[in-house]
Amino acid sequence: MPTVTIDGREVEVEVGANLIEAAKQVGIQIPHYCYHPRLSIVGQCRMCLVKIEGPPKLQTACTTQVMKDGMVVHVDVPEVQEAQEGVMEFLLINHPLDCPICDQAGECGLQDYSFKHGQAFSRFVFEEKRTYPGRERIPLGPSVVLNMNRCIQCTRCIRFTEEISGTGELGFFQRGARTEIGVFPGKELDNPLSGCVVDVCPVGALTSSQFRFSERVWYLDKKPSICTGCDVGCNITVEHRRGAIKRYKPRFNPEVNDYWMCDYGRQTFRRYSELDRLGTAVVREGDEQRAVSWDAAIDRVHQGLAESGEGAEIAFVGSGFLTTEEAFLIARLAEAAGSPHRLTCGEDGPTRTIPNPHGGISGSETSPNRRGAELAGLVASEGGLTIDDLMRGDGAARCDFLLIADGDPGSPLHDNETVARLRQARFLVVLAWAESPLAAAANVVLPAATHPEKEGSYVNSNDRLQRFRAAFPPPAGVRPGVDILLDLLSLHDPDWKGLSTAQVFDRMAATLPAFTGRTFDTLPAHGTLVGQAGAVIGGAESNPEDAHP
Amino acid sequence: MAYEPVLLRHVGHPEVRTVAGYRERGGYRGLEQALTMEPDEVIEAVKDSGLRGRGGAGFPAGLKWSFIPKETDQPKYLVCNADESEPGTYKDRILMEEDPQQLIEGCAICCYAVSANTCYIYIRGEYVEQAEILEEAIRDAYQAGVLGDSVMGKGFKLDMYVHRGAGAYICGEETGMLESLEGKRGQPRIKPPFPAVVGAFGCPTVINNVETLCNVPHILERGADWFKQIGTDERNTGPKLYCVSGHVERPGTYEYPIGATLNQIIEGCGGMWRGRQLKAFIPGGASAPMLPAEFADTPLDFDNLAKAGSMLGSAAVVVMDDQTDLVRSVYRLAKFFNHESCGQCTPCREGTNWAELVLKKIVAGNGKPGDDELILRICRNMGGTTLCPLADAAVGPLRSLVQNFPDEVRAWLDSDGALTPARQYFSEGVTV
Repeated sequence: MPTVTIDGREVEVEVGANLIEAAKQVGIQIPHYCYHPRLSIVGQCRMCLVKIEGPPKLQTACTTQVMKDGMVVHVDVPEVQEAQEGVMEFLLINHPLDCPICDQAGECGLQDYSFKHGQAFSRFVFEEKRTYPGRERIPLGPSVVLNMNRCIQCTRCIRFTEEISGTGELGFFQRGARTEIGVFPGKELDNPLSGCVVDVCPVGALTSSQFRFSERVWYLDKKPSICTGCDVGCNITVEHRRGAIKRYKPRFNPEVNDYWMCDYGRQTFRRYSELDRLGTAVVREGDEQRAVSWDAAIDRVHQGLAESGEGAEIAFVGSGFLTTEEAFLIARLAEAAGSPHRLTCGEDGPTRTIPNPHGGISGSETSPNRRGAELAGLVASEGGLTIDDLMRGDGAARCDFLLIADGDPGSPLHDNETVARLRQARFLVVLAWAESPLAAAANVVLPAATHPEKEGSYVNSNDRLQRFRAAFPPPAGVRPGVDILLDLLSLHDPDWKGLSTAQVFDRMAATLPAFTGRTFDTLPAHGTLVGQAGAVIGGAESNPEDAHP
Repeated sequence: MAYEPVLLRHVGHPEVRTVAGYRERGGYRGLEQALTMEPDEVIEAVKDSGLRGRGGAGFPAGLKWSFIPKETDQPKYLVCNADESEPGTYKDRILMEEDPQQLIEGCAICCYAVSANTCYIYIRGEYVEQAEILEEAIRDAYQAGVLGDSVMGKGFKLDMYVHRGAGAYICGEETGMLESLEGKRGQPRIKPPFPAVVGAFGCPTVINNVETLCNVPHILERGADWFKQIGTDERNTGPKLYCVSGHVERPGTYEYPIGATLNQIIEGCGGMWRGRQLKAFIPGGASAPMLPAEFADTPLDFDNLAKAGSMLGSAAVVVMDDQTDLVRSVYRLAKFFNHESCGQCTPCREGTNWAELVLKKIVAGNGKPGDDELILRICRNMGGTTLCPLADAAVGPLRSLVQNFPDEVRAWLDSDGALTPARQYFSEGVTV
C-alpha cells in the first residue's frame, strides 16, 4: 500500500484512496462540500484545495488519488488557507446569511467552515445579492423543501438521486451564477429515500418539511439507536429535547444502512406522541380498571398465574417489537409456568430496501425484531397454540391465563374483533406502552417503556444482532419491559431479581446457541451475525455529532 | 516576399466545396499521401512539423495523437472542435464556409493516423449556414468515396457526422464538449483521465480545432520541412489565421506565417481606423490578457506572447484605439464570462459574477478607491483554482486591465462620479 505524507504525517492508504480519506486517517480534516464518500467525485466546490509537491497549482484533495509512494501534501500552509478563505468568501457573498431563521444553523457546513476557514469581514458591498425570487420555499416532494437562495451548488442531492436512490428526479438548471437545483418537469422528489437529500445537503438549501422550524438543533440531545420501522434495523440517531423526539437521522453503519434511511422510518417516532400513553399500572376489579402500585400489579399477575392451577392453559404472546432480552424473559416465564404456549406475533409489511456497499439490505416485517424474539425462545413449540388459534380460532377462550406483551400498537392485536376473541381468556395481562382496546379489556395492564426509553438488542433481516441504549428515561410510573418481566420472573426464582439488561443478555448468551460467545457490553458497534460466534465486524460506533461525512 | 496563403488559398472559389472541385484545385493529395503511409508515420510527420493546436492552448498536435492507446478493443474517436465561440474569433467559420473539403481531408488524415473510424464535427449552434455547408460537403465526400466503408478505396472505414451545439461557450472546452456530444449538460470533466484515454463515450478520443486539422493535409502533401520553414522558430511553425477586429480600416480574417507582429497585421488591414493611435490590443481572443501599444512589434506566436504576459489563444486580435475606454471594454468581457460560466466550480461561478458587479459599479460612476485592489484579489482567488480554464480566461482581461492600464481604472475610481458614461452602450435588461 502506498504511503503519503500529509502535513508531515505519514499514512499508508489503499491504492487509489483520495486525499480527503487519507487525511482523515491521520486526523487531518480537509474541508469539503461536494465530496461525499458514497457519491461520485465531481471536484467542483473547490474547498478541498491542497498543496501537493510537484504540480504548480493547488489541487483538489477529493480528485487526487494516491497511486504510489512519495506524495507530499500540505494542508496547513498559507496558500491553502488563502484559497480556502477565497472559496468561503465566494460562497458567502450571495448567501442570504439568514442563519437566525435557518433550520440548518448549528449543523451547517457554511457556518462551521466560516468559523474555521473564513474571514471575519466582507468586501461584498452591493445592496443586492443574487437571489432566486419565488424559490425560497419550494416543496420538491412530500418531505423536502428547497430554499434556492441558500444553495451552494454542490450537487450532492442531484448525485444522490442519480446514484443512490436511482430515481434521478433532481437536476441542475440554468448556468453560471444563475445555476439552480430543481426537479425535472412532471417529476416530484418522492422516492422512499428522499429525506436523505436533506442529510447530504451541507447547507440549509434542502430542509425537511417535517422537522422544519420544530427545534433549534443545538438544543437536541442526540443518542445512537436503531430504527423500529422494519427489520432492516437502520442505525439511527434519536434526536430529542427532554424526551420529546424531534427527528430521526441515519447513523453510519456500512453493514446495514450505510449513510441512509427511508422516509417511512424517519417518521416512526411520531406514534409516541400521537397515541395516548399508559401512565400507571392498572388492575381490573369487576367492570372497572383501577390504578394501583407496581407491587400490587405484579402481585395480581402472580396471583392470576397461581390461581389458574394445575393443568391450566397458560399462554405468552409477544411481538416483533420486543427486545431480544424481553422476549427471552417471557420465554423463561413460560418455562417457569411449564407452558408450551409461547408465540411471537409479527406482520408482513411492504418491502423496504436501503442501499449499502454490499448491494443493499431489505426488510419486509413491520417490526424490528421478530427474528430476535423467536431466536430468544418466544416461538411456538410442539403442541402449543398457534397465532391462528389465538387470532382466528378459540385459542384464547381455552386459556386460563394469557399474557400479551406487545411493544408497539398497530398489529392485529388491536382490532376490535381480535380483542373480543382474546378477551375470552380467563385472565388477561397486557404489557404495553399505549392505550388500546386490548389494554382497556385487560385484567392487569403493565405500562412499559417505549423503544427510545429502553435498551436492548434487535436481530435484523440479515441476522445481524445490534444493540441500542435508551435515549432518555421513561416517564414516572412506567418501567422498561425487562424490569417488569424480571419482577415477575423473580417471584418464581429469586435468582433473577434486579438484573440489568446486560446481565439478562449475558444469561441468554449462556443458554441459547444463537447468542453464544457474546456479552451485551462488548457487542461490536456495527453489530454481529447471530449464530456465528466470533464473527465480529469491526468499526467504531459512529458519532451522532458527525452530521456531515 | 509575398506570402502565399495556404489555409485560405481556395477563398473565392466556391467550387471547392465539392470533392471534384477541390481535387481540381489540388485537394486530397495530403490524404492520398497519408494512405500510402503507416499510421505511425503520419503521426511522426505531424509531430515533426511542430504543428501546435490552433484552438487556444497550443498543445503539439502530433504529440496529442500519439497519446491514443494503440492496443485497445475500444472504438476511438476524433472530435473536431468547431465550437468557435471565443469573442473576436471567426477563423474556423471562414475555413468551414470557404473550404469544407480541406477540413474533411484533415479529419480523415487524423482518423487514419489514430485508427479512429468515427469523426464528429462539433459545431457551434449559431453556425447554421456553416453546418449546412459541412453536411453538404460530407454528403458529397461519401458519394465520391472519400468517406464511408473504404476511404479512397484503401479499405479504411470512416464515418463523419456534424453535431450542432446549443450555444454555450463552455462547450468549446474539450471535456465540456464531450459531455454535450454525449447528450449531457455541457460541463467540463475532471482531468485526468484525459480524453486521449477516456474521451467521448468513455473511449480514446482526439480533440482538435478546425484550423489545426486544416493544416494537416498541407503537412502531408508538402512535407514537415516545408511546414517548419514557415513561422518564427521551430516551436512556432506554420501558417496562422488572425481574426482582426476593432479599430482598423478593414477588419477580417488574415493569414500570415505564425509570428506576424501587430504592426504588420494593422498594416495589412489598411492601417488604424481613421488614422488614430493604438492604445491597447487583445492578441488572442477575450481570454488573452490585454497588452499595451508597446507590444505592437512582438511576434504574435505562442512563446513570444507568453513571454509578454499574454497568449496567442485563438489569435483573435482586437485592436483598440486611443479613444477606447478600456474599463468599459473589460466590463463587457466580464459580462460575457459571467454569462458563460457553467456554474460548477465555486470560484468561477461566484467570481465572474462578482467581477461583473464591481465593473458595473465602476462604469456607473460609483467606483471607490480600492476597487482596483479588489479586482486583483478576485482574480487571485479565481485564477488556477477551478476545474477548467474558463476562470483563468475570465481573469485574463480583468487582471491585465488593472496591471497594464492602472491609470485607466484609477481615472474612473477618482472621478467621483464625473466620468459617468456619456451614453449607455448596453441598456440594462438586455441580456446578451
